[in-house]
Amino acid sequence: MAAVAETQVVKAPRRAARQRAEQPAIWRWVVLLLAGVFFLVPLIVAFRFAGIKAFGAVISQSGFASSLGLSVRLAVVTTVITIVLMLPTAVYVHLRLPGLRRLMEGITILPIVIPPVVLIVGVLQIAPGSLKGTPYLLALEYVVLAMPFAYRAIDAGLRALDLKTIVEASSSLGAGGTTTLLRVVLPNLTTAVLSAVVLTVALVLGEYTMASLALFQTFPVWIYVNSQYSGQISVAASLLSLFVTWLFLMAITVAGTRRSRRKGGGAVTLFTATRQETRGNL
Amino acid sequence: MTTNTARDADANGLRQTAGGHGTSVVLDNLSRSFGATRALDGLSIEIAPGELVALLGPSGCGKTTALRILAGFETADTGSVLVDGRDISSVPAARRDMGMVFQSYSLFPNMNALDNVGFGLRMRKTGTAERRKKAGELLDMVGLAPQASQYPHQLSGGQQQRVALARALAIEPRVLLLDEPLSALDAKVRLQLREQIRTLQQRLGTTTLFVTHDQEEALSMADRVGVMRQGRLEQIAAPDELYDHPATAFVAEFVGVMNRLPGRMQGGGMVTVLDSTVPVMRQGSDASEADLAGDVDVLVRPEGLTMQVIENGNGIVTYKTFLGSVTRVGILLSGDVTVQVDKASSEAAALAPGTSVSVALPPEPVLVAPRP
Repeated sequence: MAAVAETQVVKAPRRAARQRAEQPAIWRWVVLLLAGVFFLVPLIVAFRFAGIKAFGAVISQSGFASSLGLSVRLAVVTTVITIVLMLPTAVYVHLRLPGLRRLMEGITILPIVIPPVVLIVGVLQIAPGSLKGTPYLLALEYVVLAMPFAYRAIDAGLRALDLKTIVEASSSLGAGGTTTLLRVVLPNLTTAVLSAVVLTVALVLGEYTMASLALFQTFPVWIYVNSQYSGQISVAASLLSLFVTWLFLMAITVAGTRRSRRKGGGAVTLFTATRQETRGNL
Repeated sequence: MTTNTARDADANGLRQTAGGHGTSVVLDNLSRSFGATRALDGLSIEIAPGELVALLGPSGCGKTTALRILAGFETADTGSVLVDGRDISSVPAARRDMGMVFQSYSLFPNMNALDNVGFGLRMRKTGTAERRKKAGELLDMVGLAPQASQYPHQLSGGQQQRVALARALAIEPRVLLLDEPLSALDAKVRLQLREQIRTLQQRLGTTTLFVTHDQEEALSMADRVGVMRQGRLEQIAAPDELYDHPATAFVAEFVGVMNRLPGRMQGGGMVTVLDSTVPVMRQGSDASEADLAGDVDVLVRPEGLTMQVIENGNGIVTYKTFLGSVTRVGILLSGDVTVQVDKASSEAAALAPGTSVSVALPPEPVLVAPRP
């Protein structure tokens, strides 16, 4: 009898809590629905305007494969350069020059406020001659553009880590600097690095201004140029590129999150590398 | 420097039975400044093989700096660090063979408990099978064998520190360094882990330096406790010695609870306090004879005062703090001086605030400090 009474007592507040939780859930769905309408309606309209046949035509269109190929190559090159530059820099600043963290934040945000033309001229000034005239010059410019996002993503990952302590722990156990970096620091930053990769790739695949100013036909430029000949095909190409980019980013995000969850890390998101709180004492 | 030879012999015995290693450590005249702050000011400590020495002091007294210099994470401006008689000042941290447990949770988040414990062995190129076996044994030793495959975020704070301890011990360190390893834990876990660390340390006979700001921790765990202040060692002695015969007023007031009572020096090594004249304990370094003339403060522990309920006594009970078997009674004396007196809880029950009492001092030697 006592047991029955007890379960009833326990159940009552639980039901109340469930009701309380349900109420905001309704609003969540309303917001989600509104946002869905806002984002999906233009896509549906675009899809209807283009027609199914246009999608087939896109692929056979001249310049499609080469421009998409160029954009993907640029994305890869930019990402590699960005990570190789930003990761050690951010780790070094956190570990040895913590006083400069604010300054670094200030410096890395500059590409957002400086007009693209200025950046192009700046990169042209210092780029090696052999790169000038090749599309890979764009990669250097994209590295500058991606810096604010990549640095912030890695910085967030480092903040979530007690870097100084784990580096010292590693070294007291006999690990040298490189071993510590590769075995201890990097594995704990996969989430942050993947976030930086996602952001950089998204940026490169969608960048139009610089590529068109520099007269290279990247995928976004190709879409724009083609829209002047056939509206339907260019809209179909836009939708296709949107879908391909989205698939690509989802793949990185899902893979990264699964990997990091296994090790107790957080989800890979576009702007932060969250970390699950450790459980309290006992 | 006081050395408790009985304790040393004891530790040596344990070490031999455990087949461990006896490493002696000497910190010789270490000084270190950070900008204008002098963190260490000529610190010298000798740690005998197998001994656990605690460095105790308020924050900023330099105790952590001393430990970090021994670990190799900081360098001393002057002075030297000798391990087994060899100067290791130029040896990098990674090659010092010192196991360290940190204040904050320092486990590698990407490795499970077993791999964390095995990391040091891996760095020493121990084979996989042997490494896993040894790491497993160490986890078992700290009572966490069932958690071997769990990641740090799945472990509680106390469990994480136990894994960290196992990890530090796995490399069979010459010296074990503990940097406030218990301060992030809650009281109950802290108490358990305190005992576990001490038991393991004695079993393995590992020379240990333990840094803490918690006097209870230091007194209960260490063979000897060094009390630090402003980068210097005030006194280093066995816990009971430190409590009963503090060398300076600072040590007296930092270790345990101390009352300050106004007294007057009488010459001939006597002081008058609370209407009785008692001998003065031999003084340490921080007060010269000249300071100790005329009006002084007499330092007495709460258990060093006696108290009786009496009409028109010299004090009034103002508050009571129940501490279990004893109750600490706050008493306001004339001249606006409040003292704390310990009384058996059974007797203290009758003492309501406002009760008139008589506080007296037994005729035993007391410590005297200059009036601030």
